[in-house]
Amino acid sequence: MFWDWWQSLFVDMSSANFFNFSFLPRYGYAVIQGVEYTLILSVISVLMAVLPALLLATMRLSKNKAVRCISGAYIAAFRSTPILVQLMIIYYGVFSIITVPKFMIFGFIDSTRFIPGVTALALNSSAYVAEIFRAGILAVDSGQMEAARSLGLSQFQSMRLVILPQAVKNVLPALANEVITMVKESSVCMVLGMAEIMFTAQTIGGSTMISIGPYMLAAFIYFVITYPTSKVIERIERRMRRGDKH
Amino acid sequence: MGTNTDYIISVEDLVKEYNGGKVVALDHCSLNVKKGQVIAIIGPSGSGKSTMLRSLNLLEEPTSGKIYFNVIDLTSKGVDINKHRQKIGMVFQHFNLFPHKTVLENITMAPVTLKKQTEEESKETALNLLERVGLIDKAYEYPNMLSGGQKQRIAIVRALAMEPEVMLFDEPTSALDPEMVGEVLDVMKELAAEGMTMIVVTHEMGFAREVADEIIFMSDGRIIERGSPVQIFENPENQRTKNFIDKVL
Ligand SMILES: Nc1ncnc2c1ncn2[C@@H]1O[C@H](COP(=O)(O)OP(=O)(O)OP(=O)(O)O)[C@@H](O)[C@H]1O
Ligand SMILES: [Mg+2]
Repeated sequence: MFWDWWQSLFVDMSSANFFNFSFLPRYGYAVIQGVEYTLILSVISVLMAVLPALLLATMRLSKNKAVRCISGAYIAAFRSTPILVQLMIIYYGVFSIITVPKFMIFGFIDSTRFIPGVTALALNSSAYVAEIFRAGILAVDSGQMEAARSLGLSQFQSMRLVILPQAVKNVLPALANEVITMVKESSVCMVLGMAEIMFTAQTIGGSTMISIGPYMLAAFIYFVITYPTSKVIERIERRMRRGDKH
Repeated sequence: MGTNTDYIISVEDLVKEYNGGKVVALDHCSLNVKKGQVIAIIGPSGSGKSTMLRSLNLLEEPTSGKIYFNVIDLTSKGVDINKHRQKIGMVFQHFNLFPHKTVLENITMAPVTLKKQTEEESKETALNLLERVGLIDKAYEYPNMLSGGQKQRIAIVRALAMEPEVMLFDEPTSALDPEMVGEVLDVMKELAAEGMTMIVVTHEMGFAREVADEIIFMSDGRIIERGSPVQIFENPENQRTKNFIDKVL
């Protein structure tokens, strides 16, 4: 019984077969471009999030209550609503006012979709990265700031020369994890027709009538990208912590 | 009074409260320091010694009262505290060296950033100071390679590189292994002998007795008694001073 079913998976290439990858010879190139699109999208989104996140984190640690609240509200808003909703609001709201000129990035990425998409992901990510930075800054011993200030350095100089260089080290693993999260989260961009992994899978499904196989492949690709990377980061983090003790 | 030009530091009626007045760390304290004086602040744990010291360069913001540095009221609005802090060196119990910078960079960072000296000048100053404390061979090491005593001597040099007019020490030897206390105290004695104005919170009664011009005894946020080492250690007037001295000697 079982054996028959198992063999049928590979012999009978019905369109609903989980392991029907017969589209690969024809669409392999599209899949590879989809992977590239996803990686570019997630890395650029997190990089674009770094500066706003730094600003948000410093605001969050400010002595001024109003400044703290503004940053807190931004972070709460973006962390407490689905990224899909944010994407829609930013695409149909903000980018109906701003017109993005059409050009191709790396020859295959359409700017009119990519730029709104990156903007939405970066704004979302900056809320998470801000909390990462805040934790990284707070993890630096308070005596460091006191020593810097006692020498006559301003708050800003102390931050730039003493606190942030030490915070960066605390923060790098978490930042890498944020890229991994973004690799997965960026799949929402399929709704805008951005040709990343999920959109590519959907397109292949539509034109070949193979319903499950493309998504199984997409799942496999996401896993192969994120799981080993997160394991490597975990190891680096453990080694860094061991290094700190001495 | 604060406007008396004899005093390099003058504290008037200083009050510091925490948690909206639930903790009174300093309870109407006044203090005058003349140029070249060495003042030792002693007292039991929690008596407000650190709070007093940290108020002098406004690391703690006073609840009320005035702090004069060279006749300028540091607590008044519009004072550029960063400028004055350059002239008030501070040494901490836990050294607080910058771990991501070499010993030399630790020392030259502030003078160069604040444009007090060029990079070249400041390196020369730093090396001279390191030579004096016997640590010139550590110039290019990172702080985590050093012993506690070495770290604290570097922290003193880092403060001195700004050419301060007064040095504040908050229990500079309390975090050290006993065999390293001497090397740090020796540097401080040398500084005192050169005429540096120093305010030292310390548990080292031998040092206080030998080096200080004036001892201040604090308890419960108040200055209970002040006087020469002989007076405080041999003839304390206040019963609380007496009890404390009996306990620590
Ligand atoms: N940030 C703070 N928040 C609340 N209370 C504080 C704070 N800093 C100090 N205090 C309180 O103020 C009082 C004085 O503290 P301070 O550190 O000045 O004492 P100290 O004489 O330096 O003691 P020690 O010898 O233990 O260093 C203590 O009761 C302490 O608990
Ligand atoms: Mg103390």
